[in-house]
Amino acid sequence: MAIINLKKKEVQAKVVYYGPGRGGKTTNLEYIYKKFRSRIQTEMVTIKTHGDRTLFFDFLPIEIGRIKGYDIRIQLYTVPGQVKYESTRRLVLRGVDGIVFVADSLAVRRKENVLSLKSLADNLASYKKSILEIPLVFQYNKRDLLDEGIPLLPVEWLEKDLNSKLKAPSFAASALKGPNVVQTMKKIIIMTIDSLRKDLT
Amino acid sequence: MAQQRDKDNFRSQVEDRLDHLFQEESPEATEEHVGLGEHPLKGLKAVLLSIDWEITDSTMDSLLNEIKNVEYVYSEDKIILTFLQLLGSIGRYVKANKGRAHPDATRVINSVYEALEKVALTEGMTRVEKEKMLLEEVANFKKLKQQVVLRKAEKKEPAVSEVTPPPAPSQAPPPAPAPEEREIRVTKSSAPEETPVEVRAEARFAEMSPHEAFAYALEEIKDVIRAEFRALRAEIKLWRESK
Repeated sequence: MAIINLKKKEVQAKVVYYGPGRGGKTTNLEYIYKKFRSRIQTEMVTIKTHGDRTLFFDFLPIEIGRIKGYDIRIQLYTVPGQVKYESTRRLVLRGVDGIVFVADSLAVRRKENVLSLKSLADNLASYKKSILEIPLVFQYNKRDLLDEGIPLLPVEWLEKDLNSKLKAPSFAASALKGPNVVQTMKKIIIMTIDSLRKDLT
Repeated sequence: MAQQRDKDNFRSQVEDRLDHLFQEESPEATEEHVGLGEHPLKGLKAVLLSIDWEITDSTMDSLLNEIKNVEYVYSEDKIILTFLQLLGSIGRYVKANKGRAHPDATRVINSVYEALEKVALTEGMTRVEKEKMLLEEVANFKKLKQQVVLRKAEKKEPAVSEVTPPPAPSQAPPPAPAPEEREIRVTKSSAPEETPVEVRAEARFAEMSPHEAFAYALEEIKDVIRAEFRALRAEIKLWRESK
């Protein structure tokens, strides 16, 4: 749940990047942080294991600035993708306002994407939130690997597997190289702030 | 009507602010990269990319099969064969130990592959340059091996697998050693039974109250932190010994 301080005119919203392990959630945040570090003027916090895996979460706060008299801050989080960290993922989702589901385009990861989306729906339900109602954007990551000749899932299949019922906005992206990383983030921020707008009057 | 106008106005202000904040400059010139196309390494790269954190027998078998395929293609190239032997060694070690493998193992696999791809694809690379890259990866491999041995000593667990390095690159490539002489040796009893443990944990989690789930999550994190400290201690020990 976003923190809205009507007295101080401050809004703080939480966006979580969710998806299967090694799908590129941390890489999304790292790309944004590296590319716009001088403009966002905040620090990215990341807690990794010895083998470079996300242990708890990554955290990147972004100051959007003053809009309609409100200071708007967005906190971007990632969850650890490994299956065994289900309880940690659930904790990170507490109070979430918007979600980017980072799907792995590798052909061999089709099942993992579907399982991860199901786990997202279940974890949201545990906080009495519906995946059908929360602001949600899909990102089909690793599209750059197509140039390498690596077998990828066609975007149409990913849409059918993951987004046929949800009908959320989606982007084919490469978190490593940059295409559509920023567009994904912009979209989820706009949708999230839009969903909070009614509370700001 | 006025409400809709207000909404549109609010939205466009947010969009403008985001456009201003995240305006991307023209893309930087990036190093030209040659795709793999139908290159013999294509299958190997695809498998390496698919290795999940939850390492399965089938993925690791695919990796080892792909290594064999590429070894066949490059049977005359000593340098590439040595790279492949490094990959095979670590691959077998990871397959045997799965989630209990040293956390650096997958990092070293990726590093060895990246070097291999560069050596195989870069036109005009001299033999000396190739050997230099190979030596760096052999050093990484040896470091990993030391860490595995130290870890084993710390845990005092019997029959933990060990990694045997391939020969130095400047030497002639060895005749393919017998499997029991190279790479990783793991007795059947030492192979961890990861899957049943995870399944039990997931089942337990589903039945937990939020407080229990929180405590469970903390325990998970503690376990990983303990493993991290073990790895760090091993590294410090290595560093001291090297001084």
